[in-house]
Amino acid sequence: MTFWDSLIYDLFPLMWSGMITGCLYALGALGLVMIFKCSKVVNFSHGNVAGLTAFLVYGLSSGVLMSLSWGAAVLVAMLAAVAIAFLIYSIISPLVFESDLTSTIATLGFGLIAQGVTLLMFGADIVALDLPIPRFAFSVLGLLVTGYDLTVLAVAIVTIGALFIVIDYTKLGIAFRAISENPFAAEVCGLNLKSVHYFAWITAAILGVIGALLIVPTTFLSVTTVATFMLQAFAAAVIGGFASLPGALVGGVLIGVLMNLFTFYVSPEYSSTFLLGVILLALNIFPNGILQNVGGSRV
Amino acid sequence: MSEAPVSDQATHMSPDRSAMARLSGSITPGVTAGILVAVLMFMPYLLGGSWTFTLGLCFANSIGVLAVSLLVRYGGEVSIGHTFFTALGAYSVGVLDTRYGISLWASVPLALCLGVTLGLLFAWPSRNLHGIYLAVTTLALALAVPEMINNFDALTGGYEGLYVATPFIPGASMGLQRYYVALAMLVIVCFAVARLRLSRQGMALLLAKTHPAAADAFGTRRVWARISIMGISGGIGALCGATLAFSGSTVSPGGFTFWQAIFLLVGSVVSFYGLSLPRVLIGGAFVTLVPQLLSSSGAWIPVFYGLALLGMILLGHYMPRIRKAMARKSETA
Amino acid sequence: MMDQQTHALRGEGIALSFGGIKVLKGLDVEFRAGEITGLIGPNGAGKTSLFNCLTGAYSPQEGTISYAGEPLNGLPPAARAAKGIVRSFQHVALCPDLTVRENVMMGIARNGTAGWFSAFLPLTKGIREREEMARAADAALADLGLPDVGDKFPGELPPGMQRLVEIARAVVGKPSVLMLDEPAAGLNNSETRDLTAVLRKLASTDLVMVVVEHDMDLVMSICDRIYVLNFGEFVAVGSPGEVRTNDDVVRIYLGSDDDE
Ligand SMILES: Nc1ncnc2c1ncn2[C@@H]1O[C@H](COP(=O)(O)OP(=O)(O)OP(=O)(O)O)[C@@H](O)[C@H]1O
Ligand SMILES: [Mg+2]
Repeated sequence: MTFWDSLIYDLFPLMWSGMITGCLYALGALGLVMIFKCSKVVNFSHGNVAGLTAFLVYGLSSGVLMSLSWGAAVLVAMLAAVAIAFLIYSIISPLVFESDLTSTIATLGFGLIAQGVTLLMFGADIVALDLPIPRFAFSVLGLLVTGYDLTVLAVAIVTIGALFIVIDYTKLGIAFRAISENPFAAEVCGLNLKSVHYFAWITAAILGVIGALLIVPTTFLSVTTVATFMLQAFAAAVIGGFASLPGALVGGVLIGVLMNLFTFYVSPEYSSTFLLGVILLALNIFPNGILQNVGGSRV
Repeated sequence: MSEAPVSDQATHMSPDRSAMARLSGSITPGVTAGILVAVLMFMPYLLGGSWTFTLGLCFANSIGVLAVSLLVRYGGEVSIGHTFFTALGAYSVGVLDTRYGISLWASVPLALCLGVTLGLLFAWPSRNLHGIYLAVTTLALALAVPEMINNFDALTGGYEGLYVATPFIPGASMGLQRYYVALAMLVIVCFAVARLRLSRQGMALLLAKTHPAAADAFGTRRVWARISIMGISGGIGALCGATLAFSGSTVSPGGFTFWQAIFLLVGSVVSFYGLSLPRVLIGGAFVTLVPQLLSSSGAWIPVFYGLALLGMILLGHYMPRIRKAMARKSETA
Repeated sequence: MMDQQTHALRGEGIALSFGGIKVLKGLDVEFRAGEITGLIGPNGAGKTSLFNCLTGAYSPQEGTISYAGEPLNGLPPAARAAKGIVRSFQHVALCPDLTVRENVMMGIARNGTAGWFSAFLPLTKGIREREEMARAADAALADLGLPDVGDKFPGELPPGMQRLVEIARAVVGKPSVLMLDEPAAGLNNSETRDLTAVLRKLASTDLVMVVVEHDMDLVMSICDRIYVLNFGEFVAVGSPGEVRTNDDVVRIYLGSDDDE
C-alpha cells in the first residue's frame, strides 16, 4: 500500500512538475539546436541574452525604466532580443564560415557582455517577475495542477507547434532544413546561407525570451537565473543529439523529469554533477541523440 | 561538424616556433625567456608587497592559461572546464597544508598526480567527443566543481575556504616565497612544454591533431592522443591550482567558478594560444589584472572580458587578411 | 620465388560498401614481395578505398586480409603499421606544425622507447633517440633528393616536394609493405623522373610495393604487375604489356576520354 501511496503522492507529482519544467528546457534547447543545426555554432550567449531580455521586461513594466503594460514590455523586449540576435550573428558571421569552434568561443564573449550589461543596468539584486495569469489550482487523481502549469503547457505546445509548422511549410523553414542537411548543396541551389542563419538565430532568441519569462515565476530573477536555466537546456540539447529538434524536445522533458527525481530521491546538492553524468552517459550511449534509433531525427 | 580545429587561426597567424628555432641554431626565444626570467627575479625588490603578490598570482594563472592553450595546440580541443583541474590542485595543497601541515614538497606531486589521473578519467568517457561536443561536456565539468567543493566541506572548508600558511622553505620570508615559488613553477612548466614539442609523443600529438588518419597509419591511435593530452593538460591545470593556493594563500570556492573557467579560456585566446613564456604571461596577466583593476566597478569585468575575447578573435580573423591586402598594395605600388 | 609467395600481402573477397553503394565488389589481390605492383583505374574506381581496407582505415564488410600468411582482419591501423605496412596519402597529410625532418621522423616515431619522463625532461635517452631519428629522417630525405629541406616547414615547399616528403615518411622506417597513393600527382617531369629512379632503387626482394598512379608512363615503366580496377572490380591483371593491349582496359581509358 505504501508503495502506491508514494507513487501517487511523490512520483506522479514529481514527474508532472518535471515535465512542465522540461517543456521550458525544451524551449531553450530548441533555440540552441536551431542555431547549431544550420550554422554549427553552439550559442553560449543564449542564456545570458534571454536573461537580459527578462530583465528588460521587468524594467519596462515595473517602473525601473518605464511603466509599460506587461504586454507592451514583452513586445519591446522581444524586439530587443531580435535586435541583439541580429547583431551577434552579424558580428560573428565571418567566423562562422571559418571555424565553428572559434565562433562558439566568440559567443562566450557575447554571453559575458550580456551578463555585464544586465549587471550595469539592473544591478545584482534579486527581483520578482510574475506572469499576468489567473491563479487557480485543482487536483486530478491526486495531482495538483495549477494555472501556471497549464499556461506553461499551453504556451509550450503552441510555440513548438508553430515552430514545427514554420519549419515544415514555409519557404524559410524548408530552406533551413535544406541547409541543415547539406549547406554546400543548398548554397549551390541558390539558397542564401546567411538569411537562413539569421532566421535561426532570431527564432532562437524569441524561443529564449519565451522560455525565460515562463521559468522566472518559479524562482525569482537574478543575473544568473536564466543562464543557469539554460544549462539544463544545454543538457537537453546534448541528449537529443544537438542536431535534432524533436530530440531537443524529448531531451528537455527527460532532463526535467530526471532532475526532479534525482533531487527528490537522491540529493539536491549534486544536481550539476548529476547533469555531467547524464551528459557523458548520453553522449556515449547515443552519440547521435536519443531519437537516432527511433528514426525521428527528420527535422 | 567541420573538422577545422580552433587553433588554425592562431597557428597560422604566428607560429609558436620557439622550440624549433632553438633546434635550428637560433636561440632568440630562449634568450627572450631568459631575460624575462632574469627581470622577473628582481621584481620583488623594485615593487611593493602587494604588487609582488599580484605578480605571483599572474604566474600561477599563466600556468592555467598554458594548460588550456596546450589542449588547443596539441589536442585541437577547447575546454571551458579547466577550473576542475585547478580546484583539484588547489585543494590538494590547501587540505594537506591545513589538515596535516604538509608543505608543497608533498602536495605539489600529489596535485600533479591527481590532475593527470582525473584528466585521464575524464578523457576516457569523452574520448570520442570532439569540438563543440567536448566543449559542452567540459562546461558541465566546470559546473560540477563548486558543488563538489561545497559538499565536501569537511575536507574543503566549504564557503569559508582554507588558508595556506606552511612555508615551502622554513625561515624564508613568506611573501617572497609566494612569489618565487610561482615563478619557478611557471618556468619549469614552460620548459617542460617546450621539451614536449621535441619529443616523439609531442610530435605524434601534433600529427594526430592535424591528420588523424595519417597518425593512425603511422602508429598513433586517436584515443591514445586524446587521453594523453587530457592527462597532460589536467596535470598542468592542477599545478596551476597548487601554485594559486600557495601564492594566493587562500583556497575558496570563489576561485573555481564557472566564470573563472571561462576567464582561463579568455586568457588563452588573448595570448593567441601561445605556449612560450612571454605569451602565457600575457594571458595570465590578463586573467589576474583585469578583475583587480576593475574591482571597484565589478559589472564592467564581464563586459571587458567579453570585449577582449571578441576583439582578439576578430583580430585573429582580420589580421591575416589586412596584412595580405597591405602586402598586395605594396606590391602594386 | 618461395620468398615472394610467403611475404605477400593478400586480400580475398574484399567487399566494401558505404550506405548501400558498393565501392569494392569482392576483390582478390596478391601483392608480392620483390615486385612493384601497379593499381590503376579511373577516378572513383576504389583504389584509395582498397588501400584503406588493407591498412585498416576502413574495415571491409567481407573478405580476409593477410600478410605473410598472418591474418590482419580486425587489427587497427597502428598495429598494421607495427608490422611494417605503411602508406602515403593521396592528399598530402603532413603536419604543418612540424618541420619537414620531424614529419619524416614520424615514420619511425612508433619504434621509440623514450617514455613520458623523456618527453618533458632533457634526459639523455630521449635526446639521443631524437638524434637517431633525425639522422634516419635526413638519410631518407637525401635518398629522395631532398637533402636541404629538413628545417623548413611543409607549407614552405612546393606541392611536388611535399609529396616526396610524404614518401620519405613512408620509407624511413624500412617498411615491408609500401603503398603509395598517387606519388607523382603534382610533380613536374623532372621530379617524376627522379621519383621513378627512387622507386626503382627502393624495390628490393623482400619489399611489397604497391603504387596507385594516374601517370601511365610511370606505371608502365616501373611495375612488374598491374591491377586495373573499375567500379570496384578488377577488369585486368597482368604485366604492363598484357594490360596495355587488353581490350577492356583500352575501352575504359578511351571510353572515359570520350565522356569528358
Ligand atoms: N568514406 C566514404 N564514404 C562514402 N563514400 C566513400 C568513402 N570513401 C570512398 N567513397 C566512395 O568510394 C568510391 C571510390 O573512392 P576512392 O577514393 O577509393 O576512388 P579512387 O579510385 O581512389 O579515385 P581517385 O583516382 O579519384 O583517387 C567513390 O565513389 C567514393 O565516393
Ligand atoms: Mg584515390
